[in-house]
Amino acid sequence: MVSTALQREAAARRPRRLITWELWLLLPAVTYIFLLIGFPLLLSIYYSFSHISVGRRDFSFAGLANFRALFSDQVFLQALRNTILITVVVLVVVLVLATILATALAERFRGRAVIRYLLLLPWAAPVVMSTIAWKWVFDSQYSVVNWVLRRLHIIGPFEFPQWLGVPSLAIISIIVVQVWRILPFATVITLAGMTAVPRELIEAALVDGAGFFTRLFRITLPIIRPIIGVAVLFTALFTFTDMAVVWILTRGGPYNTSHVLASWAFQVGILAGDLARGAAIALFMLPALAVIAVWVLHLVSRETAQ
Amino acid sequence: MRRLTRRRLLQWIAVSAATGLLAACGGEETTPTQPSGAGAQATPTTAPSTPTTQASPAAAASPTVIASPTPSGPKELRILQWSHFVPDSDKWFDEFAQRWGQENNVTVVSDHINYADIPARAAAEVSAQSGHDLFAFGFPPAQYEPEVVPLNDLIEEFKREYGDPYPILERSCYNPKTDTWFAFMDFWAADPVNYRIDLFQQVGGNPDTWQGILEAGRQLKQMGNPIGIGFSPEIDTGMAMRAIMWGFGTSIQDENGEIVINKPETIEALNYARQLFQEAETEEVLAWDASSNNRFLASGRGALILNAISALRTIEGTYPDLAPNIGLAKAAAGPADRRGCAHWYNCFVIWKFSPNVDLAKQFLKDLVANYRDKFLASKFYDIPSFPKAVPDWQDLVQNDPNAKPTDKYAVLATAPEWTVNVGWPGYMNAAEAEIFDLWIINDMFTKVATGQAEPQAALDEAEQKINDVFKKWRDRGLI
Repeated sequence: MVSTALQREAAARRPRRLITWELWLLLPAVTYIFLLIGFPLLLSIYYSFSHISVGRRDFSFAGLANFRALFSDQVFLQALRNTILITVVVLVVVLVLATILATALAERFRGRAVIRYLLLLPWAAPVVMSTIAWKWVFDSQYSVVNWVLRRLHIIGPFEFPQWLGVPSLAIISIIVVQVWRILPFATVITLAGMTAVPRELIEAALVDGAGFFTRLFRITLPIIRPIIGVAVLFTALFTFTDMAVVWILTRGGPYNTSHVLASWAFQVGILAGDLARGAAIALFMLPALAVIAVWVLHLVSRETAQ
Repeated sequence: MRRLTRRRLLQWIAVSAATGLLAACGGEETTPTQPSGAGAQATPTTAPSTPTTQASPAAAASPTVIASPTPSGPKELRILQWSHFVPDSDKWFDEFAQRWGQENNVTVVSDHINYADIPARAAAEVSAQSGHDLFAFGFPPAQYEPEVVPLNDLIEEFKREYGDPYPILERSCYNPKTDTWFAFMDFWAADPVNYRIDLFQQVGGNPDTWQGILEAGRQLKQMGNPIGIGFSPEIDTGMAMRAIMWGFGTSIQDENGEIVINKPETIEALNYARQLFQEAETEEVLAWDASSNNRFLASGRGALILNAISALRTIEGTYPDLAPNIGLAKAAAGPADRRGCAHWYNCFVIWKFSPNVDLAKQFLKDLVANYRDKFLASKFYDIPSFPKAVPDWQDLVQNDPNAKPTDKYAVLATAPEWTVNVGWPGYMNAAEAEIFDLWIINDMFTKVATGQAEPQAALDEAEQKINDVFKKWRDRGLI
């Protein structure tokens, strides 16, 4: 009896986590998320189990037929592999480069503000516009890269390395552009984390004779791990779900070898008109993204608690 | 200079907002600039119905001009189509739409978007059940048949007025299974061979046949002037590969819609394409988009491309020294036949959700009645589906004062003999459209050309995909 009374008393003392006006404040954001993300998501799940096409709103139930068909679709399997490969490589490269850049930009030096500004430009530019510029960099006839290589006599006058026409080079080109566009964001996040590292810790390490790498790997990076977790989450999400870069650079070519899930879903669902199968392809991104998001958020919350 | 204070900034904002509100409520006395509501991708040119507010020709010529419809007419007709490769054609169309609107007391909104955005735009309009009344595809939209108004009555009227159309119209826009005209193609564009006369003369080559192109191409590649036929996921490649298949006597389907692609003639066509790619082309064609071949010819390096006359028209305007060296020839002949796709199938549909079906049909009738002007404005690009709509079009192409020589475009007069629909010798249908849009034929040829697959293996893989697509659309009753 006594313990129950104590529990009641404790419950009464505990602050209420949310009060009504806070819920009202959240309502616009929740409504926005539901209308622009939740509803289309539910709709695409519904589509993936139907026979709907662009010219025929046939919502009859198709069962798992659309999903079963995907596993015999070699292009889909290739797109799935490409999506994972590109995401993992971009993630690793971005994390390494972002750490290097953030470490350099954390130091005081002449022109730091200008370099920080220039670094943000790729992030500020619309992805479609910047990818079109990259398309010209890799163009089959007027590639800037080839022009430079030719001027340096590395390739001959009639040699045209096909950055977008050979499967392996096309994937590398896509990775380069993805790294280029995401790196500023990851760098800024990492830099923000680094500036928050207490100076006393660094100074104490210096007094103890810790070198640059010791300070970086033993002090700075462990402290900013939650921040890096956010960078990992966003880099993975941005890369995994992006179709603009692939679509503008290669349109999935050559012979459908550079498709990612998003671009293949667009090709099948919108251009070829099979909305149901396109939705099924797109839905394959959902579990992967959910796992990434939950894992990283869990990591971040654990680190923060520690 | 007075210092800008926070209070003054707020005052300015308030005054600006009030002015905007007044302008919005001010009716016809003001001239607000507003988009047509056609969406972010559209770049509308609006034909107002008030006679006193005619747009200047310069304004009409520019698809980026955004003018406000003046809602004085009781009705509004909304039209969406591509931004024409020959911009003068759009200029003529928008001026015509403006005049038509004035005469019929209708506000006509004419939007133009990039051709590549048309499929996504169509899907969005059908999904939203809202958008334009008249929607022009560049390709027969057979898969949209359930969502469009049948145009059987309109076609019958046209036939009574202008006689028989070219067969390509029926083969592209009619579904014999459902007895439905799902679209009306007001024009199609020929896809001739564009080649460098001087270079072919140097090697003694002849672009009249596929074999001739290969033989000349071998020498031209050695000279640094390779052939420029794409092997890439884009429309020009899809059309070129079909032309090769037809030339070698094979096709995806027969005249009854049965799949017949897996036969020795297809293997021959694939072997030919492999030779063409490896011996007469460079790898750059693997990464091409739809405009790459145009740039390739304009660069002075390319010896031959397959394209509509817009490529040459652009060169005439941009590189006048190069233009006289470029010639046009019929679609190349293979051992079995001489056939080529149209480069553009301008297919208008009227969505079922349109409240202005009769108005849209009337517009199309009046458009065809004025087609001679459109044909000339398009600089011979827009070949009418009903030849009697422009009875002298084949005479007109014999003499173009701007061309050197003036009969350069005369070969277009033969285009109705060798230009066929996608899906030939059968009808265009939803399966053929999907096969085209998934680049199944492009991929089959590219894999063989690059040595990624043997011809029979690539063919078997393509046939399996084609079977799946045909089965799906047969199950849905459209084939």
